Amino acid sequence: MGSMKRISDRVKHTAARSATIDLRRRVAALEAEVQEARALNLRVAELTDLVTELMVPLATGDEERIKATLAKYHEGI
Amino acid sequence: MRGLSRARVADVRVDDEGIFARSRAERVLDVHFDGRRIWSFWLHRDGTRTDGGYLVTWPKTLRGFLDGTAQVTLREHDAEGEAPVFDAPVALGSGQGQISITTKDGRPIALDKSLRRVQTFDESRSDVEPLMRAIDEVLGALRQAGVEAFLAYGTLLGAVRNGHLIGHDSDADLGYVSQYADPVDVNRESFRMQRALTELGYRVTRYSGAAFKLDVVESDGTIRGLDVFGGFFRDGRLHLMGEIRTPFRPEWIFPLSEVELEGHRFPAPADPSRLLTATYGRSWRVPDPAFHFTTPTSTHRRFNGWFRGIRHQRARWDRVYARPPEPNPEGSDLARLIVKREPDLREVVDIGCGAGGDVLWFARRGTRAIGLDFARKGFARAARTAESEEIPAQFVYLNLLELRSVLATSALVAREPGPRVVMARHTLDASGRRARRELWRAARLMLADGGRLYLEFLIRAGDDGYAESVRVRRRRPAMVVRELEEHGATVVWRKTLPAHGPGTPGSPSMICRMVAQWDQ
Repeated sequence: MGSMKRISDRVKHTAARSATIDLRRRVAALEAEVQEARALNLRVAELTDLVTELMVPLATGDEERIKATLAKYHEGI
Repeated sequence: MRGLSRARVADVRVDDEGIFARSRAERVLDVHFDGRRIWSFWLHRDGTRTDGGYLVTWPKTLRGFLDGTAQVTLREHDAEGEAPVFDAPVALGSGQGQISITTKDGRPIALDKSLRRVQTFDESRSDVEPLMRAIDEVLGALRQAGVEAFLAYGTLLGAVRNGHLIGHDSDADLGYVSQYADPVDVNRESFRMQRALTELGYRVTRYSGAAFKLDVVESDGTIRGLDVFGGFFRDGRLHLMGEIRTPFRPEWIFPLSEVELEGHRFPAPADPSRLLTATYGRSWRVPDPAFHFTTPTSTHRRFNGWFRGIRHQRARWDRVYARPPEPNPEGSDLARLIVKREPDLREVVDIGCGAGGDVLWFARRGTRAIGLDFARKGFARAARTAESEEIPAQFVYLNLLELRSVLATSALVAREPGPRVVMARHTLDASGRRARRELWRAARLMLADGGRLYLEFLIRAGDDGYAESVRVRRRRPAMVVRELEEHGATVVWRKTLPAHGPGTPGSPSMICRMVAQWDQ
């Protein structure tokens, strides 16, 4: 009986440890995914800023204005 | 060597190893050399337990100065008027000559709480006017751009404590709380602020999407940092870059109040003590020059995810280029390969140009050359040389970790008609995956009119010291080919060869040269 209980305890312990490791992996993966999603804030902000600041001057087709706008935008980064 | 000791801090010893002392209770100690405060530390937190006491080793940033003799004094920071716990002449290193902790041009320096060498306000109290004027001007510019900024962090602390800048501080801090709640909008607003200040003529260095630094030049040439930290309310919490995320009420910020600093009136949060408690804890009234933030990981994770990631490796390269290097006048082997393979070469763009040696080399041959790098100090000397020699070389800031920088710089380059050659020598092997992705994007945009991309990178670090000398990590050619192909390029030539390291090799380092192009 004693050895059966020991085996049963060992199986339970191994299963619990394996579940913990699995949970740790899943939490780490989820954390990485959350960070990926958070990083989009900066990326979207950069793209929106670029389009907002440059789109209208580019649409004018005025070469000198485009050049000056681009240089000024670059200066402000 | 043993000096005076008191009941609370005992058995103080100062030698080449560092400072040893015994104290049951935690103590903040100021270290003075010849009567000038140089550094402060917490005995238990910063020390290693040994011999019944604590040994605090000399910070790396101080060790270079510690050769000679000086009168070393240790005082408990909060024990004004009491006898020092140690006060004796100390000989360190060779013991020859007087220890002088100054810049090369003789300006006194000390260590800040992050152990960086700085010129503290202790030393230049008479010369704070330019900084006060800059604070006033920047507050005005930020107001015009739509945010109500206020004194924050150490600057607010000094103003509230006694109306002065904190002596052991070295820069000034402003904060503002945005009307926006979404990080994406807070980022965009900060970009606008940067443009407004650049237009006023300030040199702005961005820390993150929501914080940046302005350089303020004092009359003696000292450059002071004026930090501007963006903040916002979200989920009932104040978020203020780069350390605060705490339950907070808007009425503790707005309407702004006023505090006095160095004889000037400046805006402050409605309830400064609330913000100072959120920043430094309940004991904010007790001075602590060795204070360390204990910002929760959850706050760092959020700030990192929403705003940061544009300065990876920057501190390291700034250190490398702290003293602007002499550009190599010979030109690299990669530059020679380009000349050999590209007989009709008209323009070269060097991404990650470093000290700019290749850019000068091409320009001196009459080829228009543009050097791009995120370390402005690296190419500063080459830029001056190009100007004085009146050769067709230009140096431009490019940060591969900022999409705006990549797209705007690529557009500036691509505006001039091509074809051109883009080279990147030891750039992809100094870059992570994100930066490489932008490297390929920049190359593709710059080569829109045709031309080729020339790469050189480390593929094996031998024992010849080469990898260390160029400060890179090896990359697998197959990975580089795969990434290039994923970005639409075709590799048209490649060669693996030994590098020429500074040491005598047992096994030489190996490099790969690769040429790629985008079919238009």
